[in-house]
Formats: sequence, C-alpha cells, structure tokens
Amino acid sequence: MEFLPRTEATIADWHGITPPNAAAHRFAADLAASIAAFEALRGSLAFEDEPSDFEAALKDCAA
Amino acid sequence: MSELADLSLTESAAVGRDGGAVALLQACLARLDAWNPEINATIWLDRDAALARATELDRADGPRGPLHGVPMAHKDMYFQAGRPCTCGSAIRRDFVPEVTATVIERLAAAGSHSFGGLNMAEFAQNPTGHNRAFGDCRNPWQTDHITGGSSSGSGAAVAVGATYASLGSDTGGSIRLPASACGVTGLKPTQTRVSRAGVMPLSFSADNVGPLARTARDCALILQTIAGHDAKDPTSSDRPVPDYLAAMDGDLRGVRVGIPTGPLMDAAEASVQAAIEAACAVLVARGASLVRVDLPLMDAVTAYVGIVSRVEGATIHATWMRERPQDYAPHLAARLFAGYAVPGVYYVEALSRRGPILRRFAAEVFAKVDVLALPSIPTALPTRAATDVDADVAHVAAFNAVSVNTRPFNYLGLPALSAPCGFDPNGLPIGLQLVARPFAEATILKAAEAYQRDTGWHSARPVLAG
Repeated sequence: MEFLPRTEATIADWHGITPPNAAAHRFAADLAASIAAFEALRGSLAFEDEPSDFEAALKDCAA
Repeated sequence: MSELADLSLTESAAVGRDGGAVALLQACLARLDAWNPEINATIWLDRDAALARATELDRADGPRGPLHGVPMAHKDMYFQAGRPCTCGSAIRRDFVPEVTATVIERLAAAGSHSFGGLNMAEFAQNPTGHNRAFGDCRNPWQTDHITGGSSSGSGAAVAVGATYASLGSDTGGSIRLPASACGVTGLKPTQTRVSRAGVMPLSFSADNVGPLARTARDCALILQTIAGHDAKDPTSSDRPVPDYLAAMDGDLRGVRVGIPTGPLMDAAEASVQAAIEAACAVLVARGASLVRVDLPLMDAVTAYVGIVSRVEGATIHATWMRERPQDYAPHLAARLFAGYAVPGVYYVEALSRRGPILRRFAAEVFAKVDVLALPSIPTALPTRAATDVDADVAHVAAFNAVSVNTRPFNYLGLPALSAPCGFDPNGLPIGLQLVARPFAEATILKAAEAYQRDTGWHSARPVLAG
C-alpha cells in the first residue's frame, strides 16, 4: 500500500478519524517530509540524554 | 476624543488615573466604530458593562493601580466568567466560561477593564488571520493583505487605536506575526514566564501569553503586570519578575547584537533585509556592537517544532474531529488530521531533544551575543488570497512561509519581540524580531525601547479611507 492510503488507514484504525476534506490528503501526504527530516536526525538523540528536562534547561540558560 | 485614542498605553494610564476612564473607553469605541467595517477586528463587544465599569473606576476612592481606567480588548480566547469566549471558532461560538483567566485578573487588579473579544484565527491555529466562522480580520494598512495570525484582531485593533494594548497568544509566532504585519509591537515572553490558567490551549509545550501594544514601553508595562508564578498554572515559573521599565534607559553600550547567518536572514527578501540592517545600525548608534552569528541545530529545531504543536493540537481536538469535523475550517481540519499519523516515538524524541538543543543553542549563541536581530516575517506581506488554503491547497507553501522565522523560538522557549522597522515595497509594515536568552525579556525590551527613541515606525498609523 502506498504512503498516503496507508497513513490514512492508520489514522482511521488508531483514532477513528477519516479525512475531513480534500486538503487533508495533501497535509497527510506532506508528512513524508517530516519523516525525511527525522531520518536526517537519526542518531542525534543519545541514550544518555535522558532524563531531559526542558524547564531546567530554561533556568540553567538564563543569565 | 480622537486624540485620546492615539495615546500610548503609558499615556492613557495617566489619563485613567486622573479620572478619564469613561473618556478613554469612549475614544476606543469611537475609533473601533469607524474602523471595524473595514477591518472586522471584533467578535463581540460589551459596551454597557464596559461603560458601567469605567464609570465605577472614575468614581473609585483610594489608591489607583498602574493601569487604572484603561480599557482593553483581548484575543477572544481568554476566559472571563460570564462573557463569551469563542476561540474564533464555530464550535465554541456559544461557550461562556465560569472562570476568569489569571492574566485578566491581574490586569483588572492593576485597574484595567476589558470591553470585548477580538477576532483571531480559528483556535489560534493559523499564521495569517483567516477565519471562516467570523470572517477574516483585515489589515488596516491594506485590507486585501493578511493581518498575520493568529492574534489578528489584536494586531489590527492596536494599530488603529481601538485598544491601548491587547493580550495575544503565541505558539508559533501568533503575537509577533500580527505585530509585524500591522505595524505594532508584540512580545512573546519566555516559556513559563506568564500564567496560562484560563487561556484556551493549543499546544501546552509551546503556548505563550503576551501583549501587543504600540511601543516596547507599553509591552513592558503589560508584562510587568501579568508575569510571575500562578498557583493555578503549575508550569509557570517562580523566578522573580524584574523591573522591566527601570531597565529602559536608552543606553545600549555593552549590548551585543547578532544578525543570524543562514536562511532566517539570508532567505529574506531584499527590502526586508535592508530594513533589518538599518534597524541594527540604529542599535549600534545607541552603543550596541554588531556581529554575525551562526545558529546551531536549526535543522533539528525546524523538524521538531512542527511535530510538537501538531501532535498536541491534534490531541486536544480529537473528540471534535471525530464528531463534528465539518465545523472546522477546511485547512484547520486538514492540519489537525495529519497530526494523528505522527508516531509517539517522534513526539517524544522532539520533546526529549528540546532541553539539550536549548542548552547547546544558548551556549553557542548567547556566549557571543545578547540579542538576535532578524525579520519577523521574511517576505513582503502576502495577500489574504495568496495564502488562502481553503480556496486552493496549493497556497499552503505561502501560508507556511509566513511563520518560518518565528516558529523556531517557540521550540527553544526563548523570549522574542517584534517591533515595526519599515515598510515593504507594497506599503505594508516590516517587523524587526529581537530574541534573547531565557528570561531576558528586559534585554529585548530595553533594546526595542532604545530603537523606538530614535525611529518613528511605531508611531506610523494607517489612514481610514474615505
């Protein structure tokens, strides 16, 4: 099955939500770009990075 | 009356404390009545209650707060008990909350009162200001152009003098974009700086409350009033709130300003780049130093920021997306729909990387500069038609391009301000975006206020045709 119908089927299975309009197909198809962006980042999340606390980082990075 | 509407927030507060609350309200309403047929900035108004409250404030004995008698209208997503709160949506058209947002309570404690709910993007989820449920808010400089979103009514109403300031919200640029597009000043504070209790949620990791006003000084006055820990919002910071106004001395000696290398600046249109460079020259004349600085990890920031807000937005809208998807604007339903396909592992990765990325970004960037300066919107301002995804999904690229320079700083949680710094070739405002390290709002407010001492862009006003 191709990416778009597979993605839409997954959404229907997991969430019970179907494409609400024609534009939804385009936005769902654009998720391929998100996958490509994440592929490019693979390996950047290190095992030792956890636990990660964003609020602590905000405090630590303040002047 | 007209002159009263043109006052800054700071000036209007002096009038209010001197017994001019009714006069201030009447000035704002008169200005709104004149402009609203052109710009569609409001969703609801409560004239009678506002007049009654202004009368009470004029008659009140005892000490008067810093915003005594100042009328304001806010983006229609702040809960006020017993008053409408549509969130710009058909779905919440009849919603009336039973509680009041902490930030509204804090403004009221300072003496301000609110008289209406302003237009906004539906559920605060677009960067242009398009709204199918209540009609698009239109840019007062040229009504066929976008106001920027999602705080569209806030930007337009402040620009025409219909409110002295307005609370907006910013999850991907929704304060800075309408500030830029409408020629006003807008501040997105550091993540956690301002309480979100009683505020419509969009993306709980990236939502921020902040002001749009006519000057940096006015934004500082609002932030001074609303910032600080709130027991009703456990995510709000307990860090002490500094005196923002006291820091505004116009002296930028020792302040290091950095223009980013890379696409956030280099991909901007020539007229926008020129305006930013000219603005930085003004800061340098005030004593600042200027450098070029590389921004690390921007590919990761760009990838992660869209995932976080998309998944969180999809999550809180799931019930309505199942039961009444037809009641959303098509572009919003389509955007939410895609959020349901994002794997949980991606979402957790995006959140897990946020702290480490911020730490490295801050270490590399803020070791070299105190303030980043870049365009709020990198292009000449587009028209509503050219960014109308509901009319043609092919417009999605232009739609997304509007917020490309603001979204990264929501992921990083950094304070960011947009101030007017010129006009594009079509006569629409250009915004200078200033960004600083966490909790350094005082630094960007000081820089913007110093800039506004020597420039007049923030004083320019759109002219009502006819």
